[in-house]
Amino acid sequence: MSHGSDNHHEDKITIDGEASSTSQRALVLGVLALVGAVALGFGDLAKLQRAYLTAFMYVLSVALGALWFVAIQHLTNAKWSVVVRRVAEILANNMVLVGVLSLGVVGPMLAGSSDLYPWVDHARVEGDHILHHKAAYLNMSFFTVRWLIYFGFWIWLGRRFFTMSVRQDKDGGDEISSALQRMSAPAMIAFALTLTFCAIDLVMSLDPTWFSTMFGVYYFAGCVLAGYSSLALALMWVQNNGRLTATVNQEHYHDIGKMMFAFTIFWAYIGFSQFMLIWYADIPEETHWYHWRFEGGWKAVSALLLGAHFVAPFFGLMSRHVKRNKRGLAFWAVWILAIHYLDLFWLIYPNGDGAVPLGLVDILCVVGLMSLFVGVSARRARGVNLIPTGDPRLADSLAFENI
Amino acid sequence: MSESAETPAVVKEPEQLHGLLAEYTTPEELLQAARRVKDAGYSRWDTFSPFPVHGIDPAMGIKRTVLPWIVLVAGLTGGSLALFFQWWTSSVDYRWIVSGKPFWSIPANIPITFELTVLFAALSCFVSMLVLNKLPLPSHPLDRYKRFARVTNDRFFVLIQASDPRFDRRETAKLLDATNPRAVEAVMEDTASSATLPRGVIYGLVMLASAATVPFALAMLARVSTSERPRVHIVPDMDWQEKFKAQRENHFFEDKRAMRLDVAGTVAQGELRDDDHFYRGKVGGAFAKTFPAQVDISMQTMERGRERFGVYCTPCHGVDGGGQGMVHQRARALLQGTWVPPTDLHQENLAYKSVGELFDSMSRGIRNMPPYARQIDTADRWAIVLYLRALQRSGAAKLEDVPESERGGLK
Repeated sequence: MSHGSDNHHEDKITIDGEASSTSQRALVLGVLALVGAVALGFGDLAKLQRAYLTAFMYVLSVALGALWFVAIQHLTNAKWSVVVRRVAEILANNMVLVGVLSLGVVGPMLAGSSDLYPWVDHARVEGDHILHHKAAYLNMSFFTVRWLIYFGFWIWLGRRFFTMSVRQDKDGGDEISSALQRMSAPAMIAFALTLTFCAIDLVMSLDPTWFSTMFGVYYFAGCVLAGYSSLALALMWVQNNGRLTATVNQEHYHDIGKMMFAFTIFWAYIGFSQFMLIWYADIPEETHWYHWRFEGGWKAVSALLLGAHFVAPFFGLMSRHVKRNKRGLAFWAVWILAIHYLDLFWLIYPNGDGAVPLGLVDILCVVGLMSLFVGVSARRARGVNLIPTGDPRLADSLAFENI
Repeated sequence: MSESAETPAVVKEPEQLHGLLAEYTTPEELLQAARRVKDAGYSRWDTFSPFPVHGIDPAMGIKRTVLPWIVLVAGLTGGSLALFFQWWTSSVDYRWIVSGKPFWSIPANIPITFELTVLFAALSCFVSMLVLNKLPLPSHPLDRYKRFARVTNDRFFVLIQASDPRFDRRETAKLLDATNPRAVEAVMEDTASSATLPRGVIYGLVMLASAATVPFALAMLARVSTSERPRVHIVPDMDWQEKFKAQRENHFFEDKRAMRLDVAGTVAQGELRDDDHFYRGKVGGAFAKTFPAQVDISMQTMERGRERFGVYCTPCHGVDGGGQGMVHQRARALLQGTWVPPTDLHQENLAYKSVGELFDSMSRGIRNMPPYARQIDTADRWAIVLYLRALQRSGAAKLEDVPESERGGLK
């Protein structure tokens, strides 16, 4: 019970120097990669926009995953996760950056580009009976309002969790904990709605005649997987720099691994539920979406997703020894983050011609945006404790053990 | 063990020693004691506490349970069994077309596969947990010790069993004393209580078992008795479905027929049948003298024709085609005056009929022979024609037609 509770006094719990250098390198790499992507993809703007959108949804999923993690920990009054929560709070507090990056998607739409979203094109909407009917929702002014609500809410929520938690470092007490817990319940409802509609607006409306009520949950499953995997890797980076080495231990990694395992199953469950209803009903206006993904090169991608997004991590993460082993968990975190990109690529790209145009522009875009995200996260990590030292549940978290 | 003689306190006790119980007040003391007992090399001992104590497993030297492996194997078994049975029932044992869907298709089987995987894993987990923990345990020698009752509240205990090969009454007591317990107490085997179940429990079990047979007895009774009352409809909307059956009246339509005719001028897929030769046995309005191109003139088709002939033609025409089939013999035996005997298929005028005409008679019927187009597939009717030709040829065969090697058997 008491054998771990004093360890964090010996641990270094701030990471200023390393964070600065890592941040600089990441920001430089991010800018270079983005410049490279633009230089390489300038000839084909439609393709460049699609590559950027995929990379953007990827970064957004990491941030939303972290934000959800923080919210659910507060909501459930979780004790085990206190020592890992600050790192997630830092990741979730990056919503400002993600909001700025979203201009890369929304900017061209505001300028009238319908390369990605056919419903932006007025003439097309007027000539298409279905689009005309959906125009009450799918129109630029209402879309802009929704976009402002999504990011306004996420930025506010991420900032609130972070600043309140940092304030608790100084003030202590459990008032802040209970205030955040009270806030988390309505915040979670708003989070579910904003995430769902954002996924519908930014990804599902690429094919505006298609619809699936599972779509938001499907994107959410990917968000949570990306969030937990990023959290595990971020913690390992912190520990490799000699911080929190005794504070965060295999018990905490074990729990993060359990959630990665659980949401691997959840992803497959949601993905299959969406597929089976459409497959079984066999209605042409729904089936074409899957038809596109089972044609040509996409058939192999779909099979790869089944094998590498579900079967492999399902058996790979099943053993407790893997989850309690840092290298084992790191391997699967990297694996999930890689296959998660393919999942988004599979959601965003197919257009019926069967070609799988995964190219250098796509890689440069996602590397660029992720590097910016990592760079800004590392910058934000400076000057704050890496664990919420004022949280009254800290001792419980330090002594946490899986039975 | 013969130590009881050396220990004065238990000289008079008729009961056998079960083990030594040590009591502690904190989980830390329990952990420390557990480490000492483990290091002393004991194997038949246990610790008791009101709540799970972190680190008790390594302190006691308990190996990790095999339960996860049991659950994994059971889960995989459940999933495989579910897939296998769905495949076997719907595509092997009882093929039944549902809405034109394939007999077996993986997506439709995933929900049941998922459920059975979970069911097998969960049940095996529960049952294996009981078995591995040797539960349920109706009684234990410790039940009689008042001191031990506080194990559900605020006390921690170590019990070393006398059956442990390292157990030595004095040495073990010394070891336990060294762990700073609140008290050490000898635990006796429970010889006072009866080893048999109380009568009340036995009667209760017998009554429960008898009561459990009542539903089965009622079901058996229902199978051999009749009732005036209407049957019980458990799922009424399956017994009375909102649908029209064949040949029923339906006032919704002007012609008041529930069965609908094809829309004028339409043809169902694969039902066009514009090949006169194949579907009607005619070429240019006259009966065809040759087989249509779709008919493969081979031993395989001949065999198929022989088999179909055996099913559909032999009842009247007989196995040899001579018109002496079972139906004919029966009609004669019953002295049916109006019975028109089946045709001898070897008659000369028949042998000279074209294949197209034979096919036509088979498809549309002739005299009192009914049409068989509904029962026998088009290709099979041609196969029967092919076999019939061979049958007619064999009826008019000469000795020279028989292969040389076989002639000896005939003469």
